[in-house]
Amino acid sequence: MDSPTTNNHNHIHTHHLNGASTISQPSKKPKLLSSSFITPAEIHEEFSHHDPSVARINNGSFGCCPASVIAAQHRSQLHYLRQPDNFYFNELKKGILQSRTIIKDLVNAKHVDEISIVDNATTAAAIVLQHTAWSFHEGTFQKGDVVLMLHYAYGAVKKSMEAYVTRAGGHVIEVPLPFPVASNEEIVREFRKALERGKSEGKRIRLAVIDHVTSMPCVVIPVKELVQICREEGVEKVFIDAAHSIGCVDVDMEEIGADFYTSNLHKWFFCPPSIAFLYTRKIPKGGSELHHPVVSHEYGNGLAVESAWIGTRDYSAQLVVPAALEFVNRFQGGIEGIKKRNHDAVVEMGEMLAQSWGTHLGSPPDMCGSMIMVGLPTSLGIACDDDALGLRVHLREQFGVEVPIYYRPPRDGEVGCVTGYARISHQVYNKVDDYHKFRDAVNQLVNNEI
Amino acid sequence: MPQDDDEDPRNGAVEANDHAHQSPLKKPRLTRPISEPDILQEFSHHQQGFARINNGSFGSCPRSVLSAQNTWHLRFLQQPDEFFFNSLRKGILESRAAVKALINADDVDDVSLVDNATTAAAIVLQQVGRQFADGSFRKNDAVIMFHCAFPAVKKSIGAYIGPAGGSVVEVRLPFPVRSNEEIIAEFKKGLERGKINGGRVRFAMIDHITSMPSVVLPVRELIRVCREEGVDQVFVDGAHSIGSVPVDVKEIDADFYVSNLYKWFFAPPAVAFLHCKNSKGLVDLHHPVVSQEYGKGLALESSWVGNRDYTPQLVVPSILEFVNRFEGGIKGIMKRNHDGVVKMGTMLAESWGTMLGSPPEMCASMIMVGLPSRLCVTSDDDAMSLRTHLRVYHRIEVPTYYQALRNEDRDPKDKDGFITGYVRISRQIYNTDEDYHRLKNAINQILEDGKICSMLPVE
Repeated sequence: MDSPTTNNHNHIHTHHLNGASTISQPSKKPKLLSSSFITPAEIHEEFSHHDPSVARINNGSFGCCPASVIAAQHRSQLHYLRQPDNFYFNELKKGILQSRTIIKDLVNAKHVDEISIVDNATTAAAIVLQHTAWSFHEGTFQKGDVVLMLHYAYGAVKKSMEAYVTRAGGHVIEVPLPFPVASNEEIVREFRKALERGKSEGKRIRLAVIDHVTSMPCVVIPVKELVQICREEGVEKVFIDAAHSIGCVDVDMEEIGADFYTSNLHKWFFCPPSIAFLYTRKIPKGGSELHHPVVSHEYGNGLAVESAWIGTRDYSAQLVVPAALEFVNRFQGGIEGIKKRNHDAVVEMGEMLAQSWGTHLGSPPDMCGSMIMVGLPTSLGIACDDDALGLRVHLREQFGVEVPIYYRPPRDGEVGCVTGYARISHQVYNKVDDYHKFRDAVNQLVNNEI
Repeated sequence: MPQDDDEDPRNGAVEANDHAHQSPLKKPRLTRPISEPDILQEFSHHQQGFARINNGSFGSCPRSVLSAQNTWHLRFLQQPDEFFFNSLRKGILESRAAVKALINADDVDDVSLVDNATTAAAIVLQQVGRQFADGSFRKNDAVIMFHCAFPAVKKSIGAYIGPAGGSVVEVRLPFPVRSNEEIIAEFKKGLERGKINGGRVRFAMIDHITSMPSVVLPVRELIRVCREEGVDQVFVDGAHSIGSVPVDVKEIDADFYVSNLYKWFFAPPAVAFLHCKNSKGLVDLHHPVVSQEYGKGLALESSWVGNRDYTPQLVVPSILEFVNRFEGGIKGIMKRNHDGVVKMGTMLAESWGTMLGSPPEMCASMIMVGLPSRLCVTSDDDAMSLRTHLRVYHRIEVPTYYQALRNEDRDPKDKDGFITGYVRISRQIYNTDEDYHRLKNAINQILEDGKICSMLPVE
């Protein structure tokens, strides 16, 4: 007989199985009876592996994974280790297809072929941009053709642009964005100006890379509107880097209308590290296909199939999407309910902090999802990126608060403005005390300065 | 003296920090080498009552290493930011340093950790492709490889070299193989073919241990031949090597050497090392997943490719602790595996009236054994049916191989006809002789029942 998963050798596991012994087909609708919704005590239990001494208000960076999903992952791993050949021949493909199908429904894609599973948004960006580089090399794109991205694009994606686009002869144009930001119109205006710049030399704009939720500083971008503008202005393809989106803002492929869209499930959708999906809108036959850079047996069978086997690895994080969905559906309103409550809470906490410190929010509430930027008191004297990092480390080590800090350089003519912002997140495990702890830590630092 | 429970890694109380001070070359403790019951316990998560004679495909990982991995994983989940800022980089560097010592590399900068050999191949082949694309390698230049190179790697060559303008020369591996000399002779012929269009052979991809059919190639001699012929870059695909043959990268002297640690070196899925000779001089070698570390050298690029589970890369020190519980450490393990697989291969060949696919000195922990011709393996599908049948009906996992007849003189025969099918048997520390007797009996039973491959039920 097989050894049970919770045996002496795994005594480090303090996770609970919650009675879910198999990864069965989960129901898509959340439970209707209020008596069967997850309770606060159960939520606490699910995240009891989090360090209790830390006010963890940075779900945005590394996400979180509840005990029941971790347990599902362990079962999957042990199942593989038990007889890997059998797993490879008879179970892996099925499991990945099941995950892809769930994601397809979650994001309203038309065909499961359009959904590939990859490690993370960084990998998805490499896949899209490598394809762009190839188009330059083989002459489909001309040297000097434009690729657009936001100034606040994620650091890794900027490097990917350098490695794949600039290097191949493409011209990268950055769209500057105001921060703090007051409205979608400000973003749309800058975007249109950048498009004009791109077209001004008679070159084609081959690709626009647009964040759905920028990382730092964190703002929800009006992607649907920007995609529409791209179509009107003849931008060939649009790639939405939505690393944070799924589980944090609304994600609807038909509604948004992009050609490529990627989001991490390990940030806001309770999957373990790491798993992301890359949506690629179906193209007419003869169109050029994307490829996974790690070429294996499935090369040429479509990105989704290629990505499902890139050599021997642990695919368990990609196989537990059903368990994550099951977890989410224990909450009232499922993922929609979670999103709404996170949003309301993070706005409330953000306003509480801004009021206590005499500062302001970095964006209006309707331009944020489950994260919001809160200005830090100017007396903290944040004058560069190192100061911001130093404050973050100090908060972690001296106050037990984990929160990323952003340095916002003053613009020309600005004096005495707020130069430091905290990006606070709210996820189901957070408590009001977490933000009070942060509030008090900053107030103490301010008093020390005086 | 029995160890304290706290020190016993099997109880899962493996503190990752303890391994910071372990030297990988520390002599194995002889006072209490691991016992047979201990070994069984370490692999008790393997399917019981199942003859697992295919360590070569997916490898294996003992409980104590899985436990160490779990400790790392939990630390990440507890406070991921702190882990990322304070522990991850250090942990990966320790693993890389352990690998460096293991393979006799000069510089830890030359040692990168990646997921698997398939990923390493993509990295190396992308830079070869770039050299064709930018004109450093000419359109009539060639790359050379063996015809039995791993299929995924062949596809990678097709994806990155072909479109960039390079041509590919395949060297047929004589099989069954009789000596190193015949392999070297075929390889030299291949190099000549590569020069036919007036070009040069720029890049050679050489397996250290081929996958199917499995043979240990004379890599040192082959590389010497490459250097004599002015081949620019040599890449050794040593996917199976570490933990089954000695790997000394200075002595082997390839430009790139990759080996999977999860196959024969007890790592969890999946981690491999890629050694690059003089990596500082390689400005255009990059991990395809570009992240913040882009441009800082492959080792650093590979240590952060976005948020992922890096725990397989962090447990190398724990693996060393595991292998050093065995008499002779990894050397002892390699020798016992080799002797065991040769003994069992010989036993099977004798029982079936067939032969080994290579002389014993051209194999490590795996060996090819001819299947009786009466089984009628006439295609890859037949070989796969036999494999599935053995798994489902006889609880045996062993990969099978079909090789079409070539020319009558060399084609192997048994008393009933030509041999076209083989099994590749592996031997790892959890295997017992019973596993192979079960295989012997299963094949003999099939023959007794008068069945051939195409008749075998697979469900």
